[in-house]
Amino acid sequence: MQQKEAAEVEIIKLLKAARSGFISGQSISNGLGISRTAIWKHIKNLREMGYSIEASPSKGYRLADIAKAHFNEIEVSYNLSTEFVGRKIYFYPEIDSTNIKAFELGRSAAPEGTVIIADTQAKGKGRIGRKWESPAGVNLYTSVILRPDIPPQSAHNLTFVSAVAVAEAISLYSPVRPVVKWPNDILLDSKKVAGILMEMDSEIDRVHFVIAGIGVNLNMTEAMLPDFLRPIATSVCEKKGGAVNRAEFAGCLYASIEKWYKIYLDQGFTPVLDEWKRYFGSEGKRVRVVSFTNTFEGICMGVDSDGALLVKNSKGVVERVISGDVETLR
Amino acid sequence: MDIKDIKAIYKFLRETDIVEFELEGENGKIRLKRGNASVIREVTPVVEFADSAAQPPREVKKEEAEKAKPENIKIVTSPMVGTFYRSPSPEAAAFVEMGSIVKSGQTMCIIEAMKLMNEVESEFNGKVVSILVENGQPVEYGEPLFHIEVSK
Repeated sequence: MQQKEAAEVEIIKLLKAARSGFISGQSISNGLGISRTAIWKHIKNLREMGYSIEASPSKGYRLADIAKAHFNEIEVSYNLSTEFVGRKIYFYPEIDSTNIKAFELGRSAAPEGTVIIADTQAKGKGRIGRKWESPAGVNLYTSVILRPDIPPQSAHNLTFVSAVAVAEAISLYSPVRPVVKWPNDILLDSKKVAGILMEMDSEIDRVHFVIAGIGVNLNMTEAMLPDFLRPIATSVCEKKGGAVNRAEFAGCLYASIEKWYKIYLDQGFTPVLDEWKRYFGSEGKRVRVVSFTNTFEGICMGVDSDGALLVKNSKGVVERVISGDVETLR
Repeated sequence: MDIKDIKAIYKFLRETDIVEFELEGENGKIRLKRGNASVIREVTPVVEFADSAAQPPREVKKEEAEKAKPENIKIVTSPMVGTFYRSPSPEAAAFVEMGSIVKSGQTMCIIEAMKLMNEVESEFNGKVVSILVENGQPVEYGEPLFHIEVSK
């Protein structure tokens, strides 16, 4: 976050703290240690971002549309409680894909915890070239850049870190408990509510960065879904019965990511996997595994200590799955 | 040592001007000899196994191969266990083909493990002279994926 934006976040904080009351230019000036002229410029920027800020020569400034759910980098910053995740925000009204941007930024040395957010994505990336539906004004599309000091062959652990974090954030808003489909799709009542695309840039023995690309269907109604997705996708608002404040959700999500990422780095993979298992919905059930080279059905025996899926096939042999799509059968 | 390993060694030798190759591991020994250096299709494998049930460790083969390969052939190896993909999506064109000229930092393939997609980059400038793994196949940590003939 640049200096200029940081000041704007502080101004929004002060205006929100005053509720819809006036706050004098002088007290903002004192609070932030910047001139009243500088404040005027920031107010102008904030208005351009869509905030309705009234100015009175005698009383100062007031936020007239305090109840409106703005979605921009100022609001996300306002909702942050983290140390590093989300402390640098790249916000775009529209972008091709937050993961593509994250890759560019990752390669140009963006610090750990940098996040990219878009209101809409023209080419939202799913796994293996699939598209992620990304309509404007309703959902959260974000990518987080992490730079863990771990070997590349352990980096798939972060798939589980991100799955646990997304499930936890959704659980704070949804009356229905989220369920994880191996390894990192998040479901509500058996329909997909969030998807995660993990991408890594590494050398043979060193991770340069890992990107967690996260799409969460928050306020998308069923009517907004394309026909082919309606039977298999849902959103938090469909379950909650009301709108989710996207900036506030983003704040919760980044807090969960930071929390579980730190647990992983400090305590290892076991506590992350234990938490993941609490959300896992397929154990003991019949599943179909579809990989590039093989499709088979069997009984899900859970996961091993590395998070690989264990499926007992028709011959009674337990197969260890590390790639592929896994559907729970009814 | 099975037929797959022998094929891999053969594939490697074809890209080089090595005419004879011998590898001795704990559990066996293999010698590959090309009858005529200029006719690379001609191969006379001589395989001897002390214990045919035991598999020699893969690392041995790799180490020996490293020693044997000419200096201008570099190997791109897999940084992790996973599934090898030659293109970003099933419909898309492959990142590289045989004969492709690649630059250091260029994406060669994707290795996926548990939905983590790792874009493997070339560390060399040069020409792709062999692609050692088929699309969609599992790969091991450190497994050779490509041979690159480095530019002089």
